[in-house]
Amino acid sequence: MFYLKVLEITSLYTILVLGVYLLTGLTGLFSLGQGGFVSIGAYTAAIAYLKFHVPFPLALVMAILMGMIVGLFIGIPTLRLRRDYFLLVTFGFGEMVRASLLYLAQLTGGAMGLAGIPKLVGLPLILVSIIVITFILYNLKNSRFGRNCIAIRDDELAAASMGINVYAHKIKVFLLSAAITSYGGALYAFVIMFIEPNLFNWLESAKLIIITFVGGMNSLSGVLVTSMVYYSFGEFFRFVDVWRDVLLALVVILVTIFRPGGLFGSWEIFSGNLLKKRKEEAL
Amino acid sequence: MILEIKDLSISFGGVAAVVDFSMYQEENKITGIIGPNGAGKTTVFNLITGIYQADSGKIYYKGRDITKLPAHERTSLGISRTFQNIRLFNNMSVIDNVKVPYVVKIRYTIFEEMLKLPRVLREEKSIDDKAREMLGYFGLAGYSNYKPKNLPYGIQRRLELARALMAEPELLLLDEPAAGLNPGEVEELMKLILKIQREKKLSIIIVEHHMELIMNICSMIHVLDFGKKIAEGTPYEVKKNRKVLQAYLGDEG
Amino acid sequence: MHIIFQQLLNGLSLGGVYALEAVGFGLIFNVLKFSNFSHSAIVAISAYFGFFISRYLFPNFAVTLLMTAIFGGLIGVVIEKLIFRPIRLKNAPLTLFLVNSITAAMLVQQVFAATLGSDYYTYPEFMKETAWRLGAFTVSKTYVIMLTISALVLLFLSYIIRKTKIGIAIRAASSDIRTPSLMGVNVDFIVSVAFFLAGILGGITGYLLGMTYSVDPFIGSMILKGIIAAIIGGIGSLGGGVIAGLLLGATESLLISQIGASLTPIVVYSSIIILLLIRPEGISGKRFIVKA
Repeated sequence: MFYLKVLEITSLYTILVLGVYLLTGLTGLFSLGQGGFVSIGAYTAAIAYLKFHVPFPLALVMAILMGMIVGLFIGIPTLRLRRDYFLLVTFGFGEMVRASLLYLAQLTGGAMGLAGIPKLVGLPLILVSIIVITFILYNLKNSRFGRNCIAIRDDELAAASMGINVYAHKIKVFLLSAAITSYGGALYAFVIMFIEPNLFNWLESAKLIIITFVGGMNSLSGVLVTSMVYYSFGEFFRFVDVWRDVLLALVVILVTIFRPGGLFGSWEIFSGNLLKKRKEEAL
Repeated sequence: MILEIKDLSISFGGVAAVVDFSMYQEENKITGIIGPNGAGKTTVFNLITGIYQADSGKIYYKGRDITKLPAHERTSLGISRTFQNIRLFNNMSVIDNVKVPYVVKIRYTIFEEMLKLPRVLREEKSIDDKAREMLGYFGLAGYSNYKPKNLPYGIQRRLELARALMAEPELLLLDEPAAGLNPGEVEELMKLILKIQREKKLSIIIVEHHMELIMNICSMIHVLDFGKKIAEGTPYEVKKNRKVLQAYLGDEG
Repeated sequence: MHIIFQQLLNGLSLGGVYALEAVGFGLIFNVLKFSNFSHSAIVAISAYFGFFISRYLFPNFAVTLLMTAIFGGLIGVVIEKLIFRPIRLKNAPLTLFLVNSITAAMLVQQVFAATLGSDYYTYPEFMKETAWRLGAFTVSKTYVIMLTISALVLLFLSYIIRKTKIGIAIRAASSDIRTPSLMGVNVDFIVSVAFFLAGILGGITGYLLGMTYSVDPFIGSMILKGIIAAIIGGIGSLGGGVIAGLLLGATESLLISQIGASLTPIVVYSSIIILLLIRPEGISGKRFIVKA
């Protein structure tokens, strides 16, 4: 039972990591405001369900749409600028969502949070979600969409010269990532059953990025594995929760110095074994 | 006439980089742009490809005003380029590098892509075939799965050419294609440029320092100095031009 | 009217600290071209350092401030040596610098959270009277000191950057990190000095913030305000950052008095997004040119 609980939480976080994998891992866009989308998703779904009696599946859809609409507002002004603007504005965005949730206390419950959310989400839905999202991301990674992402990450100027509409593509990536993250947030609300404005601060957003880099920007499978290990570690060793982050931080710094491609390089579980891939990279 | 440039100017932070530059490019011809370092040659390329937007002046491509078009739209109209300091996508395999510019021809939608529907598989198969054919054409077939940064310099230059051609351009801009190559490789490059020009029916503009290459393959040459055009003409005319000699040799000229 | 004046003064003093943050952030951005979140680590470490020495060693404001400034500078140099130099020497892409800087910020925050917990630490009272009376106005000493110190530090920095050899080398490095080595100045040294200077600013920021509020593990995240100032000023423009910092502080304080503390952040953040839509280069108008 405890193990199932751990798997549930771990998988929930992994959905959020998948959203960041697309945005940061594949496309090289850093967002410290993913927590904002988690909150938007969680609050939209919970409020729709509790206060407006929207059926649960529709509440999930509303959460996704809300995340994408807000993403559009953030993405349009920032994604045509140097990447740093996107990063810095998303950092502020997380704070802005928090401030808004506190301000809209009548709707959100303010600092007291929102309690009484029924537990409608269990492991099966979370696992199916991970499988579906991974399937979609894997497909995207291996066709035009993924090539565009990596081209933009490697060299934006060359990408534009090769016919890629860089701005439009970044917006697509960001919206898709916002959708995945808001969806994750919505599930979160119905798993944990209580949400509050500080639910997911910039540090949590930063961890999603860090996990992506430890796993390897070019390895979706590697990121999945890293995420599952990291978050389940936290559940098993609750008493050393903060030290777990210290350990993670040290691992990241060592990885960036000694294995800049991430622990897993370009390995994918679906395409041959780790050793063979390593050899190709070495070529 | 495939390209016509009228009085193009741009300045950066008050420093004029290109001043009232005009030229036109005939179809199926090779034109050269030469000039000392910092004369504004690469800036002209960046203006033609849309990396920079001109402060004033006009660019017409096949009679259409493209002055304000963003870079990627110019590529899909048929303008492609290589870079002076090679800019390959280093985290992608060689074959994926070549596939990238084919984005301008792909028909499938993002939704089909997410679910890997038959049309995606079909088009990806044909892109793969085209990419392999292109690599074969440039003698790069053996390198498909390598990462570009691990390849010798000369190979990387050829790969950039292959990638540029994958967009199926009509106008190709080559930015110092001979930089860093040894004399034997330059000789090969010269033959290669003439070959692709003939076989793919391309119009080509080359920015280059390598005089022999320019003089041998260009039918028309423009000379830039401090952002201004100081001479134009056939290789023979340019070679005899006093101003050109002065610009290149300074006081000695 | 009096209240508004008072608010404005308080706002400007906080703005001075935002300006310090914006400049410390912008300095590293100029030289290495990445958003240095590890600046928050320096601020946090210095805030604790300042607290401990002023509480247990010398309860003297000037001495401990100076010590904290230098300490902050050294921390800056150490951070650069430990986590940025190794990847810089390998010509790593900017994304890895960013990852390491975010990681450092997280590391420091979590170490403090793990060791010192979420307790508050309050600096000693340095002054007997906390306020001056200027006619009809009561002026908080802390705020006046804060503003004065920010101004002095920024003037000092401006002198270093404009007039000294190393300052000029740093400015040269801002346009192209490769040229200074041609001019015979060691790039590693320039980068170290830039981190030292930014660290001094971070140290003073930490001290002033710690003195005004109190110290907890999350104090580093207050550089968010400095980052916002840097965006408004135009990233990479140090002068723009200073003006924007003061402006942000003053506006914030006026907004808080007029529309309340809960709505203010929402208005501020939305304005930034609108600003980027209309004038992405910020108030300084400095734009980065992409090299092709």
